[in-house]
Amino acid sequence: MDISIIPHPQGVTEVTVSGRLNMVTAARVREAIQAAVGDNRPRVAVNLAKVVFLDSSGLGALIAGMKTAREAGGDVRLVAPTEQVELVLELTNMSGVLRSFDSVESAYRDA
Amino acid sequence: MPDMVTRTLRLTAPPDTVDTVHDLLESVWGSVTDLSPRDRMSLETAIIELTANVIQHANRGSGINATLTVIAYQDRIEATLSDSGEVDQVDLDGRHMPDAHELAESGRGIPLMKALVDSVEHRRVDGFNHWTLVRGRESAGVDRASSRGMPSVSISGVIDEMARQRALEELSILDTAPEERFDRVTRLAKSLFGVESAAINLIDGDRQWAKSVAGGAIIEMPREQSVCTDTVQGDDTLVVPELTADPQYAGRAQDGVINFYAGHPLYASSGERIGAFCVYDSQPRHFSEREQAMLRDLASWVQQELSVSQELSRAAEVQQGLLPAKMLSMPGWDIAGFCQPARAVGGDFYDWYPVGEGAAITLADTMGKGIAAAIIAATVRAVLRSAARFGDVTGAVNLAAASLNADLDTTGLFVTLFHARLDMDSGEVTFVDAGHGLTVIARRDGTIERLRSSSPPLGVDVDTEWEQQQVVLEPGDTLVTASDGLLDLYDGTLDALDRVAALAMLASSSQEVVDALRTRARGTSSDDVTVVVVRREP
Repeated sequence: MDISIIPHPQGVTEVTVSGRLNMVTAARVREAIQAAVGDNRPRVAVNLAKVVFLDSSGLGALIAGMKTAREAGGDVRLVAPTEQVELVLELTNMSGVLRSFDSVESAYRDA
Repeated sequence: MPDMVTRTLRLTAPPDTVDTVHDLLESVWGSVTDLSPRDRMSLETAIIELTANVIQHANRGSGINATLTVIAYQDRIEATLSDSGEVDQVDLDGRHMPDAHELAESGRGIPLMKALVDSVEHRRVDGFNHWTLVRGRESAGVDRASSRGMPSVSISGVIDEMARQRALEELSILDTAPEERFDRVTRLAKSLFGVESAAINLIDGDRQWAKSVAGGAIIEMPREQSVCTDTVQGDDTLVVPELTADPQYAGRAQDGVINFYAGHPLYASSGERIGAFCVYDSQPRHFSEREQAMLRDLASWVQQELSVSQELSRAAEVQQGLLPAKMLSMPGWDIAGFCQPARAVGGDFYDWYPVGEGAAITLADTMGKGIAAAIIAATVRAVLRSAARFGDVTGAVNLAAASLNADLDTTGLFVTLFHARLDMDSGEVTFVDAGHGLTVIARRDGTIERLRSSSPPLGVDVDTEWEQQQVVLEPGDTLVTASDGLLDLYDGTLDALDRVAALAMLASSSQEVVDALRTRARGTSSDDVTVVVVRREP
């Protein structure tokens, strides 16, 4: 799994994850989100276009990151989830809470 | 299109992780035709959730050994994970999906898994947990609403398979060197039936491995290519006169190697079918009732040899149990050793135990290998242990030699021996070297001293006077004593001792020297290899 972090305008940070987001890699994703929040950039867009697999540990990391971001006045929003990721979000009833968007730009258009 | 695709993975975590399981699943999905993307991602997610849960909880996080079997049928896919975890109950029914708005970070794994498949079963048999997930395939038109609770059809087979695998592993025969006692049976079968190949094949997880082959028989092949894997499903002789003419076996024929097959199952002593004795040929042929009866006779001969293997592997456990298990508690000293017999059991041993303000240390090598040597070695150990309680080093060796002489004379064996007393305060080592001559001291200043042997081995001359010698180990010095099998790990000459002494100078503990030599000895040695390292801390 690879993680890259790209700052965008209006304080949005794009965290791009590729590969499998599972119990092996969950902690790194959580830390990447928390680092962005720690840098005073709590509006995080996690780009999942290249995530081939998400499990409940990976989901837990996204939720943990979202809680940290929300406490700091931001949020975690998902960008371009793959079919498997959508399946997991749907079956865990999380798709209404961890919301998905087509692009980083559209993720924070409301703000 | 095959009716069924089976893949098995043995999982040891750590170092394996759920990523290991992803890799196995890749290979399963690659072999199953017409699997819908939805089935594929649902099963993959459910299997990973199950595995992650077992890795994290089965042994309270302290690591697991497990077997994952995935079977793809035409209408359904079943996955069974069997683990030896101590946690034996999980309340599957009581696990519900956490409320989304409470933002819990965990607790979704099992509810998610349940939502992805049609049934989840758990059974505990013989200390193993067997978890089975079943999902009806979309392409088979299984009505999802009515398939809830679909019971598995494979779990009892998977449990049998695990028992079989355990029985096979207990034999400790897998990946061992060829042995004449087996090879002569396969050679005989090959010429008796006039076939190109004969083999003793064992079914190990997802592969077939041959303990013995004659002719062009194949040593190792994937299980799905194996015909013997069908033979082990029953108790009867399996004869396939022409593989290519039989839809069930056509896929397993190999041009120029196998198109005729006859095999009879082989059993572990606990009754599990572990493999088959078989003959095969590239040309189709008839195999008469009389020939089948002869094949069964030969199979029962192999069976007897396998029982010998089983007894030998028990004997090996007993012999390893005679080696000192515990470190000596001697402040300022560090002792380690290992003994690797060339066969299941051997004539080498080492021993140490506290005596007075120090320790007695023994390394002995019975000339000869195998069971006869092992029996004598155990006797030497017992006699020396009791003799060491009376008198000094010479006294102990004298007493041991006197009591062993008659036995050694009868068996025609003799024993070389290094027996020493170490005084932990002064570093004095008082020793008798009976024809051994394979002890070296690596001094802290870089010099190497070989200790000379002053007397013949036990069992050679009744009137020997054992001569005791003395040497002092200063802080930073290391003494290494070994059996002659060690020399073969190098160039076979005594110069090997210098190489080992050089190794000892570089090492920071006795265990490090032992580990390095054990690695060197692994799988390569034709003689018993035994080493004891005594280091006085600098």
